[in-house]
Parts: sequence; structure tokens; C-alpha cells
Amino acid sequence: MTSPPVPQTSSGLGPSRLESLLESARLLNSTLDLDALLGHLLRTVMGRYLIGRGVVAIRNGEISTVQVSRGVAALKKDAAFTIEAAHAAGLDLLFDIGSEGEHVGTLALGRPGRGPLDPEETDFVRALTGLAASVIANALSHGQSVRLNSELDQKVQELRALLDLVRGLAATLDPDEIARILLLTFAGRWAVTRCGVAAWKEGQPALLRQRGLKLATLETQRESIGALADASVLTDAQAEAFGLPAGSLLMPLRSSGGTCGAVVCGPRLSGLAYTENDLEFGAGLVAQAAVAFDNAWHFRETIGKKQLEKELALAASIQIDLFPKKLATLHATDVAARNRQAKQVGGDYYDVIHVAASTPTQEHLVCVVDISGKGIFASLLMSNIQATLRALVFRENNLEVVARTANDLLYATTPSNRYATALLLIYEAATGACRWINCGHTDGIIVRADGSVEMLPCTGIALGLFPARTYEEAAFQLRDGDLLAIYSDGVTDAQNNAEEDFGTDRLVEVLTRHAALPSTEVVDRVFDAIDAFAGDAPQFDDITMLILKRGPSA
Amino acid sequence: MATSFTVQRSTSGDITILALNGFLDAHTAPEFEKVIQEEFDAGRVRLIAECGELTYISSAGLGVFMSFIEDIRAAGGDLKICNLTPKVAQVFEILGFNSIFDMVPTVADAETCFAGPAREV
Repeated sequence: MTSPPVPQTSSGLGPSRLESLLESARLLNSTLDLDALLGHLLRTVMGRYLIGRGVVAIRNGEISTVQVSRGVAALKKDAAFTIEAAHAAGLDLLFDIGSEGEHVGTLALGRPGRGPLDPEETDFVRALTGLAASVIANALSHGQSVRLNSELDQKVQELRALLDLVRGLAATLDPDEIARILLLTFAGRWAVTRCGVAAWKEGQPALLRQRGLKLATLETQRESIGALADASVLTDAQAEAFGLPAGSLLMPLRSSGGTCGAVVCGPRLSGLAYTENDLEFGAGLVAQAAVAFDNAWHFRETIGKKQLEKELALAASIQIDLFPKKLATLHATDVAARNRQAKQVGGDYYDVIHVAASTPTQEHLVCVVDISGKGIFASLLMSNIQATLRALVFRENNLEVVARTANDLLYATTPSNRYATALLLIYEAATGACRWINCGHTDGIIVRADGSVEMLPCTGIALGLFPARTYEEAAFQLRDGDLLAIYSDGVTDAQNNAEEDFGTDRLVEVLTRHAALPSTEVVDRVFDAIDAFAGDAPQFDDITMLILKRGPSA
Repeated sequence: MATSFTVQRSTSGDITILALNGFLDAHTAPEFEKVIQEEFDAGRVRLIAECGELTYISSAGLGVFMSFIEDIRAAGGDLKICNLTPKVAQVFEILGFNSIFDMVPTVADAETCFAGPAREV
């Protein structure tokens, strides 16, 4: 296709110039690369008018800087551009780029090879710079968009990291897992290989996860950590005080209870410094993690409490099973017992066990045992004692041997601070003969039919405290109308609001007064008396009362 | 979470090629960590991560690369990254990974990288 003849235009520009303008317009519009644009502008003008030197300066606010320079040593790229400097560099031909209101730059040229430009040639250059102006403005704003876009990309990436982290944190209640996700995120986000987290919470194991850093000693510096900003790059002095590499970023973990740890990222591998933006992002991430740690700890505590409650309930049920459901029926004897635990799991135990070793004579071991401590351990020790006593009286009716063996077995199987006091009594129902040993226990009480009172005091040391102890057996006869009371110290140590003890005298008084009643009722009267005495004062010890009455009516 | 991630291992001489597939984020990172750790423990420290099928990587996923790179280089090896999709490549670049890792188009390019001088951290 041949070009149609181009008519002379009113602007006074000939066809060849229009063609050149058209070519420039096409070129200028085909790229957004500023250097390429300006290079083309310079080349076109310099080539057309045989000019050996020229620069294009771009205006940025009040300052202009050289963007493209050809053949001008004094005004290289990025040099400050002024009209004076241009003249000094021999650039006398100056064209503004852009209109008066939107002056985007200056085209400065040396002397044209064919002499000064005529008006038509000047018009052409003006047309070219006019064309270039809008394209330059586009390129500049494009450059800015690219910058903004990259900042936006960073922000989007930050949001993604945050979202990812929050999602990860929401899925776990394990502090170690939280620390793992947090550190991975920082390592990836900032390209760091050295990072760590230390977190502390009362009642929880200290959490420490570190790679290439040592954070174990930070706990002793909680206060100085708490005083830091939410994220700060450590000064050399701070870094040394914390034992961390200079240039590390430290972010305190803050929870409702104050400073609970720190997250540290070492210097970045790329050598880049942490920016304000990074600090803000890091602080945000760490704040999220602090909440997650708090939740995880709280969850663990709740689980721990629930676990403890479960254990206590279990211990209580074990213990209740250990008490005899129904006491043995004894010839001419009325026996009753009752236990009231101060807390869910107590340490008292009573029993009436048939002594198999004494067959055919009908003997029974009657005992009240008070185990040191409470809870699951007391419960286990109780079952241990029960099994021991039952096994022993199965083949042994010598009470001294029973006590000695029980002591040695308990000593061997429990820590030395665990022990049990016990009043062990072997009762022969056919005759009323009693043999007894009091191992560090409260005094037993006999209320005779005539109202006189006798005590069964301590005759040996508590079971399980020391090895190889010997015990001495004592004996008495229980006759018709006599009452025997064996009890734990919860009875005599029960306190009222004035912190007075219920005491042995009150107990003896109650027993004496109600001695004529059946055993069950005597037990009830004792509990009533204790309750009346104690009022609303809290009781800290288990209360166990066993009554054994002998009589023809029983 | 319904994200899936797999790593397929193959070898080329003393080089192990790990083909990553799917979403590499906080949830799936342990899987990748495990594989790298196994290679490292087996004394195989010349690794190439082939990322053609890696559709997403989070900061935590990138953290895995950072977690091992010093140990791997200290052991005389390296971890090269190749065949990134444009979307994933952008994430690596935004976070400045191209200044720390060799990132090349193909597995063959990555193998060539191993022939060249060791990269300093």
C-alpha cells in the first residue's frame, strides 16, 4: 500500500516531519520504560538536527535531575539540573516538556550542526516534547504504581502470613505447636535462620524453642523485657545484656498477667535491616501468639483441674469400697461404726475382720486406722493397709507379730514421710477377751457398766515410720454392759469457732451419758455432740467412731 | 483443613530432587521438614526443590527453607529451587529469597548450579 500524499498542514509542519512525529508517537506509546522513552526523544532530535550533546531532566517537585544524558560529561544521569548548569555545560537550547501548569521536565540541547533552528524546526521539537510530555507523565505514574504495587504485594503477603498463622494457632492448644508455627512463620517471612521463643507461665513448664540463639536466661530479665517496645531492634548494649546477637529483633510476649516471654529473631540473612513495617507486622503476629499461648495454658490448667477432680472422685470411690459394707455380726456383741470425711478423700479406715488363723475360736480384728495425708495417695495406702491386715490375720493371731509385720511392710513400700496410726484389737466374742496394741493412735476408751472409765493409751510407734520396731500387746476383759470406743483424732481434735478442741473429756461425757443406747445410736450421739460443739467452724480432719458393746441383749 | 501437600523424592547421582505438590503452609510444613531432615540425616545435602506443582506457599512454608539452609550449607551442600510457578515465584521474590537461594527454571539448571562454585550465605 502506498502512502497517500500528505497535504501541507496549517501548523506549518511538512510531511516528513509529520511522519517522524507519527513514528515517535507510536514508539513513545509502545513503552512505559522512562529511560527508553527519553532516549528516543533525545535520539530523534539530536539525529534530525545534528546535535552532539543533550540531556533530558525530569522535574520532581522543585528539583530537577538529569534522567538521560548524551555526550555531556558535566551532567550525568542523576545530577542536579539547573538552567545555569545547562548553560555551563554548553546546552543553550532549552525546551520545557509539558505545559505551563504541568511542567514535567526539560530538554536541553547543544548547538545544532546546521546552525540555529528555524521556527518550523522549533515547532517540530515543541510538537515532539508535547507528545512526550503526556507519555512521560504516564511512565512516571506507572513507575509509582509499580512501587505502590510492590508495597501492596508486601502487605498482601503480610496479611496472608497473619491469616495463615491465626488459622494455625486456632487449630492448636499445644504451646509447643504454637511456638513452632510462630517461628516457622518468622523464619520464612524475614528469611532468618536464627530465631527463638521463650515463654513462662506459673504452674506450667517453661517453654523454650530456639535455633541458633540462647534464650534460657531471658526469664531472669523479665522486667527489662517488659519495658521494651512491642518490637525493637536491640542496640549493641541491649544485645549484650540479653546475650543475643547485635541487630536482633526482640518482641516481648505480653499477656493479661504481664510479660510472659519473648520472641527473638536474629539479624536477617540477606543483610537487610528490619523496617518499621516489619516491626509493626512482628508485633501484630506476636500479639496473636500471646493470646494463643494464654488460651493453651488456660486450657491445660482446666484440664489439669478436671483431671485432679476425676482422680479425687476415683480415690473417694476406691476408699468407700474399702470400708466394710456391713460389719460382722458378733456373738453377744453390738458393734457399729461411722466415718465422715472432711474432704473428698480422707485418711481414716475402720474394719472388723474375722481372724481365720484363730479358728475354731471366733476372734475378730477390730481396728481404726488414721493414715497420714489425703487424696489419692492416702487412698492407695489405705488399700495397702487393708490388704496387709487381712492377709496377716488370715494366718496369724499373734497381735504383736501382726503389728510388727504391718510396720515393716508399710515401711518398705511407702516413702518415710507416710505412715498410719492404728488401734488394733483382737476381740474374742465368745468370752469378751480383748488383746490390743495402740500404734501412735488416740486413746481407746472403755466405759464400764458401773460408769467407770478406762483408757487404752499409745503403746508403740505409728506403723511405717521406722523399720524393725517391736510392739507390746496388752489385754483386758470386756464384760456385759461394758462399752468400748475406738476413734480417730478427728473426734477429739474437732474445733469450734473459738478454736477449742472437742477433747477427750467431752467425748467420755457423751459416751457415759448414752452408754445404755444401742451402738448405732451411741455413734450418732457422738456425731451430734461434735456438730453441736463445732457449730459452723470448718472441720479439717476425718471423723471416725467405732463403738463395741457387750451384753446379753446385744 | 482440606489442604494437601506431598513430596516425591527421586535421586540423580548424589543429588536428591524433592518434587513439591500442593499447599505448603503451617499445617503441611512438618511433612516437608521431615523429608529434609531425613535427607540431611542420611548425609544427602545436595537438594533440589522442584516446585512445578507447588500451588501455594505461606511464610511458614518458606520458614522450612530457612530452617535448614545453614545446616545444609555447613555440611557442604545446598538447596536449590527450580520451576516455580509465577504466583509462587512472586512470593519468594517479595520476601527476598532470590538473594539467598539459587532459583532457576529447570531441574537441569539446578543440577548445573551444583557444578558451579558454592554459594556463600
